[in-house]
Parts: sequence; C-alpha cells; structure tokens
Amino acid sequence: MNWFAGIDLGSAYSKGVIVRDSEIVASHVIRSGSDYGAAAEVIRMELTERAGLSQDDVLHTIAAGSGADSVSFAGRTSSDIVCTARGVHSIFPQARTVVDVANLSTKAIRLDSEGTVTNFTVSEKCAAGGGRLIEVIANILRVDLVEFGRIAARSENPIEFGTGCAVFGESEAITRVSEGVPKEDIAAGVNRALARRISSLVKKVRMEEPCVICGGGALHMALIQALESELKVDLLVPPIPQITTAFGAAILARVAATEEKT
Amino acid sequence: MYYAGVDIGSTMTKVVVIDGSDDLLSVIKGPTGPEHRQLANQAMAQALEQASLQIDDIAFIVATGYGRINVPFADLQMTELSCHARGVSILFPDARTAIDIGGQDAKCMKISSGRLVNFVMNDKCAAGTGRFLEVTAAALGINLEEMGDLSLRATERVEISSLCTVFAQQEVVALLSRGEKLENIVAGIHSALAGRISTLARRLAIEPRVVLTGGGAKNTGMVEAMKEKLGCAISVPEEPLITGAIGAAVLGKEICLKTADEHGTPPAKPRRLERATFFKEEYP
Repeated sequence: MNWFAGIDLGSAYSKGVIVRDSEIVASHVIRSGSDYGAAAEVIRMELTERAGLSQDDVLHTIAAGSGADSVSFAGRTSSDIVCTARGVHSIFPQARTVVDVANLSTKAIRLDSEGTVTNFTVSEKCAAGGGRLIEVIANILRVDLVEFGRIAARSENPIEFGTGCAVFGESEAITRVSEGVPKEDIAAGVNRALARRISSLVKKVRMEEPCVICGGGALHMALIQALESELKVDLLVPPIPQITTAFGAAILARVAATEEKT
Repeated sequence: MYYAGVDIGSTMTKVVVIDGSDDLLSVIKGPTGPEHRQLANQAMAQALEQASLQIDDIAFIVATGYGRINVPFADLQMTELSCHARGVSILFPDARTAIDIGGQDAKCMKISSGRLVNFVMNDKCAAGTGRFLEVTAAALGINLEEMGDLSLRATERVEISSLCTVFAQQEVVALLSRGEKLENIVAGIHSALAGRISTLARRLAIEPRVVLTGGGAKNTGMVEAMKEKLGCAISVPEEPLITGAIGAAVLGKEICLKTADEHGTPPAKPRRLERATFFKEEYP
C-alpha cells in the first residue's frame, strides 16, 4: 500500500493530511505555537495513529507553509501556492480561481484546466488582508469564531471602519463597543471590510468562475457570504477548507514518488 | 487675562493654562483612555487648581486634538495641526518644520511666520505611529518609557522586516527567542518607525529648524533614529507632549485679543465645567 503525506505549517495553524491514491485517510489541524518542528512531530504522530499506520508506511512527505523548513521528516518542501492549487484542482477540477484566506495573508490564484497556476497575488504586507482581523475583533467582542459568524449574519446595519489597519480596527471596535453599538453590527462590519480587501485582491488576478474559497477563512460562513456579495459570484467551499494546501502537498508527494519510480 | 488649551489626543489628554505673556501657569497630562475621553472637565479642573484660578477667570478656551469635540466648555475647537504648528513656533520661533509622533498618528507640518502652511499626516496605518512602539514594547514585555535608554545601549541594530504592526509584533518575539539582544531589537524598532515617518515627512521640503514633538519625542532612541534618517539636527521641547495644548491656548489668546480690538471688550460667556455626554451634539 502506498501512503503519502502533506504537512502545511502556517503562522497560526499547522495542518497535515495522509492520502492513499487521491483519498484522504487522515487529517489533523493544531495551533502552530512557537515551535514549528514540534508542531510537525505532533501532526505526524496524530496522522499515522488516526490512519492506523506506522511512520515507515508513509513513503513520501512534502512540507509547505511558512514553517516548511522545520519539517525534518519531509522529503522536500514546496511552495504553498502550488500545493493549494493542486489541492483545489483535486477537489474541484473545474475551478479557475482560488481564494485562500489564511490567518496572516490572503492569496488569490488563477488556474488553467490542468490545474496549473497561471497567475497569483498575495496580500502579505499587512495583517488587515488576512483572517487575523476576525480573531482580533472576536476577542474584543468576547465571542468565539463560530459565534462571531452567527451574530454577523444577524446584522442589518454593519459599521464602517475608518482605516484598513488591523491595529486601528481593534481600537475602533473597542470604541464602538463602549458607545453601545451592537456586537453583530461590529462583527458584520469586520466581515465586510475584510471581504472588500479580499475582493480587490481577487480582481487583480482577473477572477474567472468557478471560484473556490479555502483556508481557515472559509470556515466563516458570514465572511463567505460577504465575499460572495462583493464578488457577485457563488463560491465553492471544500469539505475541510483548512487542509486544502496540506492535501495538495500530499497529492504532490504521491506524484513525485510515482515519477521517481518510472 | 488667562487662556487655556485642551488637547484631547488619542492616547494622552493635555491641558495648559497661560497668562497674557504666554507663560505656563499649569500643565496637566493624563491618559485619555476609552472612558476618560468624556472627562475633559476633570483635567480642566486640575489645571485650574494648579493655577489657583476659577473657570470664569479664563478668558478663552480652545479645544484641539482627536477628541476636541468632547470638550463642551471650550469656546472654540481647532485642528491639532494648527495648534501644534503654533505651539512649536512659540517654543522655537525659528522652527520651519514640526514632526509630531502621536499615539495614533504622525504628522509633519511646515511653518512660516508662526503659522501652519502645509502638512502631511498618517492616521491610516499603525506602523507609522507611536502605536508601533506601544505594541512592540508590549510584545517584548518592556515599558514604553524604557525603550529609549535600552536602544542607546544597543551594539548593533536588528532589522525589522515586517511593515505591518501585527506582523512586527510576532517578528520581535521571534527575534528575541532566536537569541537577539533586547536592546538591539529595540534599536531596530526605532529605526523602522523613524524610516517610515521620515518617508512621510520628505513629502514636504524639510527645512531647519526641525522640531520633534508628541510622545515619540520623549523617547531618546527615537529622537536619535529620526536625526539619522532625516540627516539633520532636531530640537525637542522640554515637554514635547504639550505643544498642541500650548498652541491652542495661544491661538485662543490671539482670537480673544483680536475680538477685543474690534469690539472693545473680549467675549465673556458664562461657562460650566461639565463632562461631555456622548451621542449628543447639542450642548446646553
């Protein structure tokens, strides 16, 4: 039997997937913490245990993400863009545009019919373009991320944020709370501000449908809805959106091993 | 005759009372804070006590700063840009450029004949403001006040590559855990912020004398970094926090004297020291 693994060590969350052929047999997501190497080991143990495998059963591992170099057991590393694209293409072969909303950055990727990346852009200079903004404001509103999405969906009067800055957004949310603005309006305002930023990023790569949203941001239904109304399209969402890049890495590991053999 | 300037900044509230020859009779500084921003009356009451004056002794009160609308007892609201420029030119009559590093913005002002003639400012991104220092200091577990002295002990400067404050917050912690010296990281933080503010300031032609004000000017490491980035000498007032309040008081005095010239008597209006009530634009 041939098993392959993909590990995606992001700045906030570490994700791992084991595949057999193109089927996911185990996946795992944990907080990255401060030590990528340790996070990678935890994921490796958990994945093999869940899959009922020993570590030697996994023939090849590819690591991606900002901590990719810390995965000692990986055969090689690969760019997250390539892994995300491959993951999305394997789930939705018809997809032409991918929006990957991660904690610190958002990526917009264009694919051709073969799943090859033809263009991409990354919001990486500033935290206001990533899902971190939602975490920061949820913390101020004292709600968890699930509740954040739920209350945002209720709002009929989302607030407007004065700047695009995540730090100033935090103070602005504190001010609004102290002025008695309902939490749902603040939450919905954050979603809309983020959706606008992401939508301008997506427009830069000339979006073509079908468009897929993945990454941790795709766990937030209210954000997806806000983005759908900004982009005026329906977005496709993978079953476990956070592990898309790790899944792509695992598929690439299988491809690489097959190529080596032949 | 006495005049007062009330500067409600995003981070600090400052009140000064001056007499007819611009001498300072009282100086009050305190944190603005979310709940304190409606309490300008308390800072004003303290200033009056310090000067042994009653509210009716004050001929004119000008409010300025980000929270200037929250000062119901003021006779006039003026922008912090005009007030800073005027305050700087009172302290340094030959000043041509004033750079103010505030808690939530940074401004560069050109001054001619004691008046504001041009300005650029950043209040959209925390990375170019005092907030950058505040956030990174908190991440490093040090006080804002100790950053200056720490950075002067640096043996080299660690480059902070993140542009965004949120990213820099993580970067400085990572640098520390990688074994970089705290003082070298702090020097890198000052250099990064000074780089951004001087890029902003260069959009105006910088002419000497250059005066640095605001909370950022209280940080010696920051002043040194600004000198280096701008490549010129920089003057810092004895108390850099209160230039806006001084400017407000002096502009109030000038308005008052001008009205007195035109109408014979200065405008006298009965006023009460009361706290600002929110969501209410009309003051009683």
